Amino acid sequence: MNINLAHLHLLINHFPTIGFIVGLGLFVFAVIGKSDELKRASLVIFVGIALMTIPTYMSGSAAQEMICMVAQKSPNAPCANPNVSREVIETHRDAALLALVFMEITGAAAWLGLWQFRRSSRPSNTTLLTVLLLSIVTLAVVSNAANLGGPIRHPEILSDPEAAATSQPAGPQTPTGVRLGLDSGGLGKFILGVPWMWPVCETLHFIGLSLLMGVVLLIDLRMLGVMRNVSFATLHRLLPWGILGFAVNVLTGMMFFIAAPEQYTQNGAFHWKMAFVLIAGANALYFTMFDETWSLGPGDDAPLTAKFAAVSALFLWVAIMYCGSMLPFLGNAF
Amino acid sequence: MPLGLAVVLLVLGVTAVVGVVGYLIDRSAARNDRREGR
Repeated sequence: MNINLAHLHLLINHFPTIGFIVGLGLFVFAVIGKSDELKRASLVIFVGIALMTIPTYMSGSAAQEMICMVAQKSPNAPCANPNVSREVIETHRDAALLALVFMEITGAAAWLGLWQFRRSSRPSNTTLLTVLLLSIVTLAVVSNAANLGGPIRHPEILSDPEAAATSQPAGPQTPTGVRLGLDSGGLGKFILGVPWMWPVCETLHFIGLSLLMGVVLLIDLRMLGVMRNVSFATLHRLLPWGILGFAVNVLTGMMFFIAAPEQYTQNGAFHWKMAFVLIAGANALYFTMFDETWSLGPGDDAPLTAKFAAVSALFLWVAIMYCGSMLPFLGNAF
Repeated sequence: MPLGLAVVLLVLGVTAVVGVVGYLIDRSAARNDRREGR
């Protein structure tokens, strides 16, 4: 059996909910027990889950195409398989988009907390309170999205295609959760329909990329021996600018995806791009919080681990830019 | 509103928001650095 993005969605769609329960539980214990180590661990979980939620949402769009639009390409036509309800899928998709928005905001706040831990020994109480409140709201929203996804049947993953085509539903496919979500169908139409929206997102995507690459190059080149008279603590202060660039690119990139998911879900160059983005996110966490780089003063040579992280970051970000540029040439975008 | 002007205004607006957020975070970091004598 070939593994496709619908399988991937079924595999990773539990990460956001389960991961957030673990992260929030740990965070509450850490705050009550006043444990800085547990606080850092829970913040890392929040950032990691926020990154994982991006491919979870995107693979969900691919799964929607596979189980609903296999025979009819019209956006408003009922699903080709009569046992699959388009309404249930779209309700889940819209709730998932709202969950994604909250998840990314919580992830950004958690990253700021991690950065403050390194910068000034401990994060500000405002940051911790913000993370706590956001994570509670996010858990509620993501649980609702997961609940709405529960009734969606996946006959396409059965090993026998004939049995899949003739299988009867186990029960009526009706949404069982609260219908709370963004209208991603309406948002997609807005992005495609308003003539200035796509060029605005495209311009901001490149501004975000410049901001991010500027910081990445400075830090990685210092690790590799350029500008030896600069301490890492000085460069560490620039990290929030790089993360702001990344946030702009996640926001604008999601706009593109929501407007035309079919350009990306079956696009090999985009799959590679997203895989590289996830690894680069882990790489950014290394430079945010680990000790090897923090002890580097002016004139110090970076340890081998930091040099390896720097080389891999340079490779990853160049690969991300290459895959992004090649979307129409290696893949089927535009 | 002409298309070009709408694009320029929105891009400048979002860039300004990013700039202000970055500046506020950096100012808070500078205050902490001074306090810790870094």
